[in-house]
Amino acid sequence: MQKSFSLDLLEIGEQATIRQLDSSELPSKFYEMGLLPGTVVEIKHKAPFHGPIGLQISNSNILIAIRKSEALHIFVEK
Amino acid sequence: MGKTSLFNRITKLHQHVGNYPGITVEKREGSVKANGKTYRIIDLPGTYTLFPTSMDEEIVYNVLADKQNPAHPDLVVVVAEPNNIKRSIVLYQQARELGVPAIFVVNMIDEANAKGIDIDYQKLEAYLHTKVYTTDARNGKGIAQLVQAFDERPGYFPGQFEVDSVHKAALAEAKKAFPLHTEYQTWQFIAQENISFLTKEQQQILAGIRERHQLSSNVLQQAEAIKRNKKIEEDLRTIVLQKDNHHLHRTNKIDKVLLHPILGYVIFFFLLFLVFQLVFILSEPIMDWIDENFSALIDYTASVLPEGPLSNLLTQGVLAGIGGIIIFVPQIAILFLLISLMEETGYMSRVVFLMDRWLRPYGLNGKSVIPLMSGVGCAVPAIMAARNIENTKERLVTMLVTPFMTCAARLPIYVVLISLVIPNETFLGFGLQGLVLNLLYILGVVAALLSAAVLNKIIKNQHKSFLIFELPSYKTPDWRNVGMNMWEKTSGFLFQAGKIILAMAIILWVLGNFGPNDKFSNAEDYVQQANPALSEEELDEEVASFRLEHSFLGYMGMGIEPLVKPLGYDWKMGIGLISSFAAREVFVGTMATVYSLGEDVDPDDDEERETLLSRMRSEINRNTGRPSYNLASGISLLLFYAFAMQCMSTIAIMKRETGSWKWTLIQTVMMTGIAYIVAFIAYQLLK
Repeated sequence: MQKSFSLDLLEIGEQATIRQLDSSELPSKFYEMGLLPGTVVEIKHKAPFHGPIGLQISNSNILIAIRKSEALHIFVEK
Repeated sequence: MGKTSLFNRITKLHQHVGNYPGITVEKREGSVKANGKTYRIIDLPGTYTLFPTSMDEEIVYNVLADKQNPAHPDLVVVVAEPNNIKRSIVLYQQARELGVPAIFVVNMIDEANAKGIDIDYQKLEAYLHTKVYTTDARNGKGIAQLVQAFDERPGYFPGQFEVDSVHKAALAEAKKAFPLHTEYQTWQFIAQENISFLTKEQQQILAGIRERHQLSSNVLQQAEAIKRNKKIEEDLRTIVLQKDNHHLHRTNKIDKVLLHPILGYVIFFFLLFLVFQLVFILSEPIMDWIDENFSALIDYTASVLPEGPLSNLLTQGVLAGIGGIIIFVPQIAILFLLISLMEETGYMSRVVFLMDRWLRPYGLNGKSVIPLMSGVGCAVPAIMAARNIENTKERLVTMLVTPFMTCAARLPIYVVLISLVIPNETFLGFGLQGLVLNLLYILGVVAALLSAAVLNKIIKNQHKSFLIFELPSYKTPDWRNVGMNMWEKTSGFLFQAGKIILAMAIILWVLGNFGPNDKFSNAEDYVQQANPALSEEELDEEVASFRLEHSFLGYMGMGIEPLVKPLGYDWKMGIGLISSFAAREVFVGTMATVYSLGEDVDPDDDEERETLLSRMRSEINRNTGRPSYNLASGISLLLFYAFAMQCMSTIAIMKRETGSWKWTLIQTVMMTGIAYIVAFIAYQLLK
C-alpha cells in the first residue's frame, strides 16, 4: 500500500481515498460535510495562486470547496 | 435552499421578519391555516449539524435544544434534499434524540431521478421510525399532505448514537446535574462549550466534568460525526441507491468555464460591472417617477393645508423625509434582485471560491464578498449578510469594514458636490466628473480592504480560520424566493432606516425652525434694520437665512465650526455634517434649507438642482473670504462623506449583530476619525 499524503498534492482529475483528518487542526464540520475517512474524493477545481480547492465527494455526488491550508491536514491514499 | 422554497410555498405571503428574543437576530416567520387551526412556522437557518460553528447554526441549536426558548417548536420539520439525504438524516436523528418531535421531508423529489438517486421510502420510514413526506417546492407537489402532518408528534427516540463506553462515567456525572434531560441532550452539553442558554453554574459543572475526564469538545464532536456517518453510510446502503449524476455533469461543465483560473475572474468582474450598470440604468426611470410624484404630493399637501408651522412640518419635515427614503428603494431592490439571483442559481458560491484567496490576506473570507457587494446598496442588509461567516473574527472584520463601501445614500451627495467643484471637462476622453465618481467607488473598496488589513492585525483570533462550503449544482432560480428575498431586504431598509430618517427629518425641522432668542422670532426687524433698502423678495430670503443662523440648528453649526474649519468648511456646511450623522442622504435636503430655498430640493430634478447649485457656488466662506465650495473644500467634503460613519441605521444594526457597544463605537470612531484626517490632509494640501 502506498503511503498517505496530504490532499493538496493531488492534481485536478485525480481521485484518492481519505485516510485521516488532523483533528486538532480541523473542526468537526469537515466530517459533517462529508470528508470522512474512507471517502473517495476527486479534485475538480483549483483556484489560482493557492486558492481554494473544489472536490467531489464521490459517494454523494456533492461538490465541496475547502482552502488549500485545510487540505494540508487531510491525508489521502491513492 | 430547498428549505426556504418550501417555507415560502407553505406560508405564501403570510410571513414576516422578526427577531429572536434576547439575541435579536433576524427571524423569518410565517403562518398557515390548515386542519382547522393556524400554525406558526419558523424558517430556521440551514444547517447540517447541532454542533454550531457559525452564528446561524448556534441559533438553530438554541431554538431546538432549549425548551425555554420562546421559539422552541412543537414540531421540527427536517427538510432533506435527495442529493445529501445522509446529512439531513444525521440532523433528524440528533433532533429526535434530543427529545424534540420531528418529521422528515424529502424535498425536490422531481430532481432525484435526474440526480441518479433512488430512495426506498418504505425502508427509510422503518429506519427513521417516522413517516417520510416527499415534496417538490417548485411545483407544490406533496405540500398539502405535509401540512396535514403538522399535528404529528414523533417523539423521543434514542436511535442510533450510543455514547462511547469510555465516556459513560462522564455522562453519568452530567446526568446527575441535568436529571430532566434526555441522555443525548446531556451528552451534547458535555460535547459543546459555551452553550449560551445554560447558567454560569451549569457551565462550570460541565467544564469540571470535561476537565476531570480530560475531554475535548472538538474531539468528541468529531468522534460523533464519524460514528454517525459511518453508521448511516452502512444503514442506507439498501435504502438510498446512487447512480450517475447528470446534474453534476452539467454543473462540472459550467464550472470548467466559471471557475476557470483566468476566464472565471474575467466573467466575474464582467458580471459585477453589469450588475452595477443595471442597478443605475434600471432604477433611473423609477426614481424619476417617484421623485415627480412625491414633489407633486408635497405641493398638493402644502396647497390644501392652511399655511403655518404644522403644514411646514408635514411637508418639509415628514413628507420630504419619507421621500428621501423611498427614492433609494428602486436601487436597493434591483441590487438585491441581482444578488439573490446569483445566490439562487448557485453562482454566489463560485464567487466565494474565486475570491477567498484574494480576501484572506486582508483578514476577510471568501464569504465576505456578499456583504461587501451588498454594501454598495445599503450597509444594513449587507451587515446582516455576514452572518454565515463561521469565523468570529472574519465576520467581525467584514461587518466593521462593510460601511466603507459606497452605499446608495452617498450617491446624491457625490452628485451634488462633484457638479459643484469638479469642472465639467474631459480627461483622456472620459468625462472628468464621471471619472471622479468612479474613483470614489474604488476608494470605498480600497478603504474597506485596507482597514480590514489593519483590523486583522489588531483583533485577536479566538478560533482558527477555516472555510468549507458546498458548491451547489446550478439550477434555475426559484422566482418566489428571489421575490421574497428582494422584498425582505428592501422593506427592511425602508422600515428600519425609514424610522430613523423620518425621526431625524422631524428633529432637524424643529431645530431649524425654532430659535433660542428673539433674533429668531423677530428676524424681520433685525434684517430690516440692518438693510433698509431691500426689496420684498430679497428681504424674504435674507430673513430666512438670518433665521437659520439664529435657529438651534444654526447655533449648533456655529458651535462645531472650530472643529470643521481645518477641513475647509463653514458653519453652514457644519449643519450639513451634523444632520448627516443621522443619515447621509439628509445632507442635500439640509443644504437646501441652509441656502434658504425653503422647499425640499431633489437632486434629480435638473432645474431645482441648478438653483441649489448656483446658490452653493456663489456662497462665500466668511472665514476665508473665498467661495465655500472650491476644489479644496469640495474634495475634502467628498472624502469626508466617503469615510465617515454617518448612518444611525448602520450603527443600530452593528449593535444588534455584534451584540456589543464596544465594536459599534470602535467602528464609528474609526470611520469618522479616518474621514476627519483624510479630509484635513486633502484640504490643507489643496487650498
